[in-house]
Amino acid sequence: MPETVYIGPYRPQLVEPERFELLVEGNIIIDARLELGYMHRGIEKLFTTRTYAQNIALAERICGICSGIHTLCYAQTVERLMGIDVPERAKYLRCIYMELERLHSHYLWFGILAHSLHEHEAFLKIMGERERVQDLLEYLTGNRMNYLINTIGGVRRDITPEKAEKIRRTLKELKPLSDYIMSLLDDNGAFTKKTKGVGVLPRERALDVGAVGPTLRGSGIASDIRKEDPYAAYDKLDFQVIVERDGDVRAKALVRARETYESMKIIEQALDNLPPGDIVAKPGEPKVGEEVGRTEAPRGELVYYIRSNGTNIPERVKVRTPSYANNFAILEMLKGERLENARAVIESIDPCFACTDRVTIVDAKTGRRRIIALR
Amino acid sequence: MAKISVYRFLSAGCNGCDVEILECLVPRYKLADLGIEVVERPEEANVLILTGGVNVKGKEELLKTYETINPPKIVIAVGNCALTKEIFDKGYPMVGPPDQIIPVNYYVPGCPPRPQAIVKAVADILGVKIEEKEDYWLAPEGFRGKHEFDREKCMGCGTCAQVCTADAIDVIDGPDKRIVRVNYGHCSFCAVCQDECPTQAIRLTREYHLVTNNRQTTMVSNEVDLLSCSVCGGTFIPEKQIDWALKRITTEKVPAYSEFSNEILSAMKICMVCRRSIKNIREAKRLLTRLSEKVRGF
Ligand code: SF4
Ligand code: SF4
Repeated sequence: MPETVYIGPYRPQLVEPERFELLVEGNIIIDARLELGYMHRGIEKLFTTRTYAQNIALAERICGICSGIHTLCYAQTVERLMGIDVPERAKYLRCIYMELERLHSHYLWFGILAHSLHEHEAFLKIMGERERVQDLLEYLTGNRMNYLINTIGGVRRDITPEKAEKIRRTLKELKPLSDYIMSLLDDNGAFTKKTKGVGVLPRERALDVGAVGPTLRGSGIASDIRKEDPYAAYDKLDFQVIVERDGDVRAKALVRARETYESMKIIEQALDNLPPGDIVAKPGEPKVGEEVGRTEAPRGELVYYIRSNGTNIPERVKVRTPSYANNFAILEMLKGERLENARAVIESIDPCFACTDRVTIVDAKTGRRRIIALR
Repeated sequence: MAKISVYRFLSAGCNGCDVEILECLVPRYKLADLGIEVVERPEEANVLILTGGVNVKGKEELLKTYETINPPKIVIAVGNCALTKEIFDKGYPMVGPPDQIIPVNYYVPGCPPRPQAIVKAVADILGVKIEEKEDYWLAPEGFRGKHEFDREKCMGCGTCAQVCTADAIDVIDGPDKRIVRVNYGHCSFCAVCQDECPTQAIRLTREYHLVTNNRQTTMVSNEVDLLSCSVCGGTFIPEKQIDWALKRITTEKVPAYSEFSNEILSAMKICMVCRRSIKNIREAKRLLTRLSEKVRGF
């Protein structure tokens, strides 16, 4: 007789509030359903009540973890609407700031993974070392999170030679952390034991459910907006799109771990080749029309759609966040999994429900209606 | 107090604060030394840390959680969403701020507050002294913390209130004074006000220990004198703003106008309503003609 098990929203606590309903037989999950909405704030509506300039702070607060990439994606889309040419220097600076963000976001992900795998020591070590990135971001931008460094037309703060030096030093200090994480993922590593073969998302299924970012790359598909549709200065920087074939939680972890080295490589190159010049362009006026912009957030492809009626307030802003796309992958990965692995699977895609909950509840259309929803 | 067991509750915020609370657990903040642990079930907790502004869906869960935690049920609201809903204030699903739903004992302003601020706030609440010896206690140069007005420079124009990304600044006109008031408990700490202020009068400082038990106190304000209309006597614009505008016109923009300073000034001292009377329109037109003749070199 199958029984229903609930995970979240608040008992036990996941990183963010969401409720998973799992249909379990014996110890095996045979179906999964997701209920969202605990983070819904009505942001898309709020976008249409403020000016383009004010909205950038709102875009940032869709998600506090990948806040910078939201502002960049928003700014780039608005720049297109306004016909603004961003100075070269600003483009390079954007790459530096955004890769620093990818670093802190990926490290945070490993911290959370360690937490859900009950690897307390690893959790403390990773989160402790991660403070180096946070301190650096605070020094560069004035805030540890929600740093509002991108602005329409460029960036708000420059990187002086002195600051560049500090960045290089910090990257050097961070290499051992990435090495440590890699060691947790090698054949006998603590993470490997608990994540190998867990939550497998085969290549075809990953495509079917529309997974993005490291979740997709962990299933063997080389997809990265930085390469496919380059923005900022990514077309001038040399880096590799990391792919792993196994599709399990370990593969997704490996993708992220190896990406941290690529991010460091990008930052160093950008610092070496930083062109001189302005960091922000003159503001413009929005034309009547619509634009779409996309960027590669730490969790995958992020899409902004903005429609303008020519006033200083947008008529419609639509955001498709990576976690939204990846939710369907979690449900897929949970099916057939052992119950005790559920949490690791859920946290393996780095679900960011602050992102997802701009829209109303999604019903995972499993086709099967055997689960009785609570309430 | 016995052991402190903290349960985190998040509803309708950006998640930033929640991450910073997790970050407090890292060794360098020595939270364990204070005898604090973070638990995963409300049944095990006696302190509740709230983040986010609470939406319709979170409300019931918040009430349930508050019921469940053990005495003394100390509630700490962390981050401006938990104080005032901040940037999401007007969002349609929002029902908070949390203190409208359950009693809140302490507030930690910030967006998000530094982990240092959270640790220090908790220590203060417990009556434990923390020595802020290490470098990381000092916020770096350029940090965006609590606001400060330069009372000499602020002319009360209200530009900051217009550009503010989080509706955190109010301009309140009294009979003869104007108050410009920043509610840093409603602020996103974006520093756009600092960037846009025409006289560089508002500044975000490096001060970040802002814990309070009364969220009506999270304000910084400046007061300026309002000018009376030379015709009807009603107040309408800050005195300093007129001085600033005149100076800008006659020295920066069009130095050739400086010989008309007095006339321009008297025209500016007439309020918006009185400017519409026929006599004043005629005079203004006459002045404009003379000004344009001047620059065209007639
Ligand atoms: S106060 Fe700021 S950082 Fe905290 S949840 Fe709200 S928006 Fe995010
Ligand atoms: S920093 Fe200034 S502009 Fe930004 S939210 Fe706060 S008061 Fe408003």
